[in-house]
Amino acid sequence: MTVLREYAARVGQPELGAISRFDEMVGPDGALRPAWKGLAEVAIGLTPDDLRRVESEIVRSLADDGVTYNRDGRRAQPWRLDPLPLVIEAAEWERLEVGLAQRAELLNAILVDLYGEQRLLSSGVLPPAAVFGHPGFVRLVARRSAGGTQPLTVAAHDLGRTADGRWTVLGDRAQAPSGIGYAMENRRVISRVLPELYREASLHRMGPFYAALRSALIQAAPVDESQARVVVLSPGSHSETAFDQAFVAAHLGFSLVEGSDLVVRDGCVWLRGVDRPERVHVILRRVDAAFSDPLELRGDSQLGVAGLAEACRRGTVRVVNGLGAGVLENPALLPYQGAMCRLLLDEEPILPTVLTWWGGEAAGLDVLLSHAERLVVRRIDGGRPLNGPVDQVRAQVLAAPHRYVGQERLLLSQAPVAGRAGIRPSPVSVRTFTLHTGGAYRPLLGGLGSVVGEDGLSRSSKDVWVLKRGSADPDQGLREPMPISTLRAVEASVPRVLDDMFWLGRTAERVEAMLRLVIVVHALSENTASDADRFCAQVMHQVVNRLAGTASEELDSDLRSVLLDVRRDGGVAQAVATMRDTAQSVRDQLSPDVWRTFGVHDRAVGLLVESPHPHQVAESAGRMLTAVLALDGVVANMMRDPGWHLIALGRSLERALQLCFLLQGTTIERRGLDVDRRVLDAALAVAESAVTHRRRYRGHVRPRTVLDLLLLDDLNPRSLRFTLRSAADHLAALPRSTGTSRPERRLAGLLEQVEEVDSASLVAIGGASRPNLRRFLEATVVSLQQLADSVVELHATSGPAPRPFTGLLVEP
Amino acid sequence: MTRWQISHRTTYAYDDEVTDSYGVVYVTPRTLPWQQVHETGLVVDPTPADLAEDLDYYGNTCGFFQVTRPHRELGVHATAVVDVVAPVYDQDALAAPWEQGRPDAAAWRSVDFTMASSMVALTPDATAYAARSLLPGRPIGEAVTDLVHRVHGDFEYRQGATTVTSTVEDVLAERAGVCQDFAHLLIAGLRGHGLAVRYVSGYLATTPAPGQDRVVGADASHAWAAVRLPGAADQWLAVDPTNDQWVADRHVTVAWGRDYADVPPVKGVIFTEAKKSTMTVAVDVVPA
Repeated sequence: MTVLREYAARVGQPELGAISRFDEMVGPDGALRPAWKGLAEVAIGLTPDDLRRVESEIVRSLADDGVTYNRDGRRAQPWRLDPLPLVIEAAEWERLEVGLAQRAELLNAILVDLYGEQRLLSSGVLPPAAVFGHPGFVRLVARRSAGGTQPLTVAAHDLGRTADGRWTVLGDRAQAPSGIGYAMENRRVISRVLPELYREASLHRMGPFYAALRSALIQAAPVDESQARVVVLSPGSHSETAFDQAFVAAHLGFSLVEGSDLVVRDGCVWLRGVDRPERVHVILRRVDAAFSDPLELRGDSQLGVAGLAEACRRGTVRVVNGLGAGVLENPALLPYQGAMCRLLLDEEPILPTVLTWWGGEAAGLDVLLSHAERLVVRRIDGGRPLNGPVDQVRAQVLAAPHRYVGQERLLLSQAPVAGRAGIRPSPVSVRTFTLHTGGAYRPLLGGLGSVVGEDGLSRSSKDVWVLKRGSADPDQGLREPMPISTLRAVEASVPRVLDDMFWLGRTAERVEAMLRLVIVVHALSENTASDADRFCAQVMHQVVNRLAGTASEELDSDLRSVLLDVRRDGGVAQAVATMRDTAQSVRDQLSPDVWRTFGVHDRAVGLLVESPHPHQVAESAGRMLTAVLALDGVVANMMRDPGWHLIALGRSLERALQLCFLLQGTTIERRGLDVDRRVLDAALAVAESAVTHRRRYRGHVRPRTVLDLLLLDDLNPRSLRFTLRSAADHLAALPRSTGTSRPERRLAGLLEQVEEVDSASLVAIGGASRPNLRRFLEATVVSLQQLADSVVELHATSGPAPRPFTGLLVEP
Repeated sequence: MTRWQISHRTTYAYDDEVTDSYGVVYVTPRTLPWQQVHETGLVVDPTPADLAEDLDYYGNTCGFFQVTRPHRELGVHATAVVDVVAPVYDQDALAAPWEQGRPDAAAWRSVDFTMASSMVALTPDATAYAARSLLPGRPIGEAVTDLVHRVHGDFEYRQGATTVTSTVEDVLAERAGVCQDFAHLLIAGLRGHGLAVRYVSGYLATTPAPGQDRVVGADASHAWAAVRLPGAADQWLAVDPTNDQWVADRHVTVAWGRDYADVPPVKGVIFTEAKKSTMTVAVDVVPA
């Protein structure tokens, strides 16, 4: 039996007493709904095995694209996507579309009114406390000088479908709506994993909407389009929807920036380019308004740009959506939708909104208190619904009634959702988007579906397909392709991005070095033929421990923890987590292939977690090494811009450092000929120079030959000299390098030291060690670290963070 | 009528260079029925690369400046010449029961001043404290005056008892504070009963003790509160709990808002590696 037939049968015969929801796929007669009829032939063919395959392909695709969601500030979680799309028929969507366009128009009218004439308040349609008591009402924007409210550019509307099949608005997002990126990514993945179904369905592709969004943003600029520079302002890679922000930036071709990348001068916003500042004209804002300007809004914010509000007032920059848009997210406005719509648009609202009672009004408070147990009670300024005992909820509401609303619990429609037990019905909601373009609001024909859990939170997502009426219909109903404006292509490199690039290079090299160590140590530990072998394994294990501490005396579990434990400083897992964060915050600068390499790494982690076999340590470390080497390949195909040079410079310097650490742990101390020979062999293996050494010196491993090859060789890309020379090339290519800059002087000095040193004197013996070598390596490590610091200082420092005047005050 | 010449100098000194300094200032007196503003001046040192003036949401004059020249000391010097008379209130409004002071539909704008704000939480303690003055039906003028008197008596004026970030609860617990704290306490107490109350920032001219010369710079910026009176006239009874009096012709009104955070005399953001700074404020209000 195929999965959909089984689902239809299950839904067609609900269990006795089960609540009956509207089903998105199956009608009350048990037959597929019209939207699915056209797809029936392909869809019905889906077997449980197909579905499992599709599901695992989705997981893999999302991992390869690095799609994550950071809930509650925890580490990035993988984004989840259900294989079966929500499919909406053309005729039905058309009705919804009219309602959405009206809704966006209404929201815009509310926005303009509240920051302008305030007719909604003066006429008594809206209780003033509902507005004044909401943190989204930004008084800065309500000044006369704010120059009239700019229209709402992008809005999101969460919709649910009730048992009677009617779409109802659950809430609106206008502050900094997220989800367009996820919606697009969902579509990409689904079209890849269900190509037959995707081809069969004549659905609206999303591309033209993106083009329209891009165009709307460019047109928002207060300057000529050809001059306009648009940036996406992100709170950083730890933000909840960091992926979405980076995806949108990369997809629209705009720079992804953080507050520290921007500066206000002469009343204008500038990107802090390392070689020169670049004017910014439009900011797609994903930072909440309160955090957007530490000067005039929250003074403790490190996410904003000091002076941004002033720049907005002067009209030199356009923030999208405007700083006041958060006022529209206030659920206390919902009870007044009808009256607002009549006053501002002279129309009746087409889409119903979820029934809401506001505690700031006597009648609303009455309902809220007397039906607290049946309502969803939440604060008007956001956050999760209150979930304590009813008495506690009542007490919370009574303490500040105007801060709370109660909303009816909607019986949301259900759709088939794949899970462990096959396909089951589960409640769903849909986030839709509207865009102000060409003077009107246009909804995205599609959206971001959510599978809603018991707690009301989203458990997974769904792609939303809006079918075309006829296959010749243009995508998104946009017959005219949007004019593609060509923007100035050269993007300034900002210090924060360069810093991230430098660390990306350094961390990648650290990961590589540690993985090679782990692989060698693991191999040595399996050969315990002689005391010398065991001793050698110990020596190499100590090298690991010097770099990454010790988690366990037992070798296998210690190495596992190096690979898996994110809390272990110096370990692979932690370094990879750092790399991922770093890559996320410069996502727009990197090829999407970067995420594939993380996907490979994650699968190696998965295999290791599942298998207790010691052999798996080497196996997984090997795959992880493949991943980090693949990253080199991706980087090799990047533009040769300052960012690329900093990755390469980071790698070179870190390689030199790691080499010194390796040699410090292996070549200084003398442990007897037998052991030394084995340790030197191992060191060559870790430094990936064993083969070269064998070829060149015919197998005679001696300290001097090893040092010649690893420190002084001209041609070995793993040697200190070679590495430093390539570092010098990359350093010279950076915009702030002058030939005599501090990092360049330091590097030149270091190279000189290396050129002058002679391996015969390095290997000189003093007691049980080689004192000259010890001194040389110690000095080199110090010089390398100073060099790296000076690189960051000159090329990749954003300058100090903003502080309030009062932040440093001491009593006089 | 009294004419005052005001000089308000704020100086920040840093232990290292500040490369960029952005400031917003509320130091220009408002023009009001009982207050004429003749001359105003604002000098920022070092000379700012950018200087602008604007009216905020509440009609206060605010200044914006940006200093881009590296500096170790920043000075903001505001001057003004103003004529002030003691405000006069409608006797009927003062005599109306305080309950009628709660804004009606026509006074919808004042609702903004009835709600909790960032530095004025409407705590049960503050509401209870005010309740002892707000006896049912008591004339609002009398009730507010009584509350002002009690705050003055119950709380000790002590510099250093609180900081700019102290809350109303801190002040209630400490039983001490400065003018800003007493204003916040009064505001919290009255708003807790639904009245609309503004925080007012300004200056108070002090009289030297008999036989002594005026000490230059002895004055300070001052703060008080204003309560909306019943009626359509939009009158706000301005009272000074720090000095247990109604605001009169020695009080120069600069700006008002929901609380201190809306109208700090000087606030700003600096970019620096400095670790410490000191601030000195010198205010002179002298008869002109």
